[in-house]
Amino acid sequence: MSESLLELRNVSIRYRTGRGHVSAVEDVSLQVPTGASIGLVGESGSGKSTLALALMRLLPQNAEVTGEMIFAGENLVTKTESQLSKGWRWRKLAMVFQKSLAAMSPVHRIGQQMEDVLTIHEPHLTKPEREQRLHDVLTSVRLPNRVLRAYPFELSGGMMQRSMIALGLLCNPPFLIFDEATTALDVITQTQILKEIERLKAEYNLTTIVISHDVGVINAVTDTVAVLYAGQLMEVAPRETFFSNPQHPYSQALISSVPRLRGEKTRLAGIPGSLPDLTNPPQGCRFAPRCPHATEGCLAVTPPLVEVAPGHLVRCTDIPLREVVA
Amino acid sequence: MGRYISRQLASIIPTILLSIVINFMLLHAAPGDPARVLAGKDNPSEEQIAAIRAELGLDRSLPVQFFSYVRELLQGNMGQSLSFKQPVFDLIMSRMPATLLLTVTSAILALAIGTLLGVAAAQRAGTVKDAALSFGNYALFAMPGFWLGLILMVIFSSKLGWLPTAGMRTVRADYTGWRDVLDVMQHMILPVATLTLVQVPIYFRITRASVIQERQQDYMTTFRATGMPPTHTFRRYALRNALLPTITVFGLGFGFVFTGAALVEIVFAWPGIGRLTLDAVFRRDYPLLLGVYLILAIAVSIAVMLTDIVYALLDPRIRLR
Amino acid sequence: MAQTLTSTPVAEIAPRRNGRWRAQWSLFVESRMGPIGLAILIIVALVAICAPLIAPDGPFKLGATRLLAPGKEGHILGTDHLGRDMLAQIVYGARVSLVIGIVAATISLIVGMVVGSIAGYYGGIVDMVLSRITDMFLIIPAFFLIIIIVATLGSGIIYVMVVIGLTAWPASARLMRAQAMSLRERTFIHALRALGESNRKILFRHIIPNGIQPLIANASLDIASAILIESGLSFIGLGDPNKATWGRMIYDGRTTITTAWWVSVFPGIAIIITVLGFYLVGDGISYVLNPRNRKVRT
Repeated sequence: MSESLLELRNVSIRYRTGRGHVSAVEDVSLQVPTGASIGLVGESGSGKSTLALALMRLLPQNAEVTGEMIFAGENLVTKTESQLSKGWRWRKLAMVFQKSLAAMSPVHRIGQQMEDVLTIHEPHLTKPEREQRLHDVLTSVRLPNRVLRAYPFELSGGMMQRSMIALGLLCNPPFLIFDEATTALDVITQTQILKEIERLKAEYNLTTIVISHDVGVINAVTDTVAVLYAGQLMEVAPRETFFSNPQHPYSQALISSVPRLRGEKTRLAGIPGSLPDLTNPPQGCRFAPRCPHATEGCLAVTPPLVEVAPGHLVRCTDIPLREVVA
Repeated sequence: MGRYISRQLASIIPTILLSIVINFMLLHAAPGDPARVLAGKDNPSEEQIAAIRAELGLDRSLPVQFFSYVRELLQGNMGQSLSFKQPVFDLIMSRMPATLLLTVTSAILALAIGTLLGVAAAQRAGTVKDAALSFGNYALFAMPGFWLGLILMVIFSSKLGWLPTAGMRTVRADYTGWRDVLDVMQHMILPVATLTLVQVPIYFRITRASVIQERQQDYMTTFRATGMPPTHTFRRYALRNALLPTITVFGLGFGFVFTGAALVEIVFAWPGIGRLTLDAVFRRDYPLLLGVYLILAIAVSIAVMLTDIVYALLDPRIRLR
Repeated sequence: MAQTLTSTPVAEIAPRRNGRWRAQWSLFVESRMGPIGLAILIIVALVAICAPLIAPDGPFKLGATRLLAPGKEGHILGTDHLGRDMLAQIVYGARVSLVIGIVAATISLIVGMVVGSIAGYYGGIVDMVLSRITDMFLIIPAFFLIIIIVATLGSGIIYVMVVIGLTAWPASARLMRAQAMSLRERTFIHALRALGESNRKILFRHIIPNGIQPLIANASLDIASAILIESGLSFIGLGDPNKATWGRMIYDGRTTITTAWWVSVFPGIAIIITVLGFYLVGDGISYVLNPRNRKVRT
């Protein structure tokens, strides 16, 4: 396996709330090799956005992160806020947020905001150099220069999303997170943006994590898929394997019920029920209450994440049995 | 932008028209004959009354009367003051500068102080200091302005003798030039301080709330993710967004300022609209009362319109739509 | 039969209004301002109710000594220029202020509720016209309007209350309009309409009861401002001459304030405490209603 740019080791994230602790992410270990594109898929509330925000160290005060997040040899979990701001955020890790319309100040021009970010990280640049850089990133996402003079509300959803990608590329980071970056867009625009992402990965040598509830999106732009359910990794597999031979019943359900409608709220067809209460997670396998194959054993013991084939990990007690059947 | 301004100009016409309608109705609701009321004399002769009646068309139907009333108003004719024996319009305009001096000065001071305190409290939201500031502001807001004025007057002029008690100028001093300006400024301090103090809570509350709200906006997360220093993000982006609602309140607040000013003027014997109103109330000088009301309604409408225009200049979402 | 058909589905989908009280109360306590305000108001209300016990002689009994300093001859708060006991006047003044505040705020609440819910529920041209009128009344300086009306009609306490109430409604109308606009799109309202319920019934049985909460916080502020307006009116001599009001007491003490400060100072403090109580309660209620402060979040 090639060298990992990012490695998560036993990352757990808990929120302290008035009702006790909510365990949003539990014991996630994941390797992201340089140049890879990992898709994190799961329902809303599965912990995928929490994980992304944790990577940027943007979680609210009441969140506790344990474990290690090793990025280029250094542990992000122990970095201080000022260390992160100098040299880490945006220089090494950048992110494209969901809800792009609200992701920039509504009363400042887009160019002004982007230039401001650039000045902070590269104060030595001259004005023409900054303008050149802005022009370059806009060209990369196929936006005209006039976008710089526009205010966020003047752009369409697709243009705004492209602007946010341009913002992410601004300081040439090696690593970029897309958090539901196409969720708010219509299907046609979504397809266009996904194509751009695929192209930019090569152009900018990006290592990416793409977060989505939509396996269609994951299929389009990733090479490895990681399924998150109720804060736990359920399955990690190369993309082809994941879509041709998914092992976990939850993965199978996700693939067979590709949401036809936009919006995260869509319940999974064929899997009745919803995510368990994370203040008081059930014993045993977290998916067991909704699993069509669940046995009494599933409700008693949490299954471990087992490597069933090279690079293919599954958290299910039922695996050997079904493999035999298959 | 030009279209926006002309639309704003057009939009205050209904407001002013409504004030005129209310005025017209009040004129008819006032005890006695409107002609007698508008004649402005204690015992007008029958010819005078008949002349006014004909002029205003009081013998004709109400709609006709209303239009002739509006026509008279457009010519600046608001009738004669009963107690001052002067045209109402001239009388009010002669007092207006003194009132504007108090209201505008105090509104600007209160805007500055209230905004600063509001930002300070919002940055400490949830702490004891924030709670203390909020509580203190509520207490200040609960104070009747005229009472606060009385207290300040007793302390600073009667007991300590630092500042003049009342009026706008030192009586019989007849200062001129800079000496006169200084004299007026000395007399202004207490009434302006009173009016400022009662207005500070308005700006404090709106600023605190909108800063807190702005800090939770998505773009704040974006900028934090980019590694922008929080103070930079706050000063450059959050503040600009958060101060927009404050501007709207500044315009609407003028109605409140005039009310406060009227009462505070009475306390400090300041020769403005407030004193005039008090005199008009005592003598039941209806033409004068109606005139004061109408002119203030127009003044506030204009203030609201101006702040709306300033708002649009600062918020592209309005300006460019 | 028709009855059961129309009532069952609605009962199932209409939001539940009961059973949240405990959570709301704990939020109210958490707001810090709310409970302080409530405590203040309970004390003020008790004082108003027990006025005859605290001051058995009533507020208008003329005493022998004028402008007696606080604490002298059994007058805890001193006497005014007619020798009347200040404490008795303040205690009875609490009754007047509370009644004026509550009645005026109720009037403004009702008018605002009706205007706002009609504008928000019907929308279109009705909304446009009503909203414009609301905005105009919001701009016009109400105090001067009140002065004219009271000077014209007379300064009986009834007029004062009604006039204050009739000029204070635009804020509640705006709040109610927003509520009605969002409620209008809710499933249970759609269901009611599909079931043929009349608009008026929907408005008064469902829109208003479900949308009234923000207006309650506003009503608390309305009471406060009504008390302040009344004191202002009394201060320029337009208060009810037959009632002991705090504003008139300040006015009475104005001329002698340098020698007998207590005549103006104590009623002013009474106003501040009472008005502050209503502000703080309003703050507490707003805190409860602010969705950001709701607990249960993951």
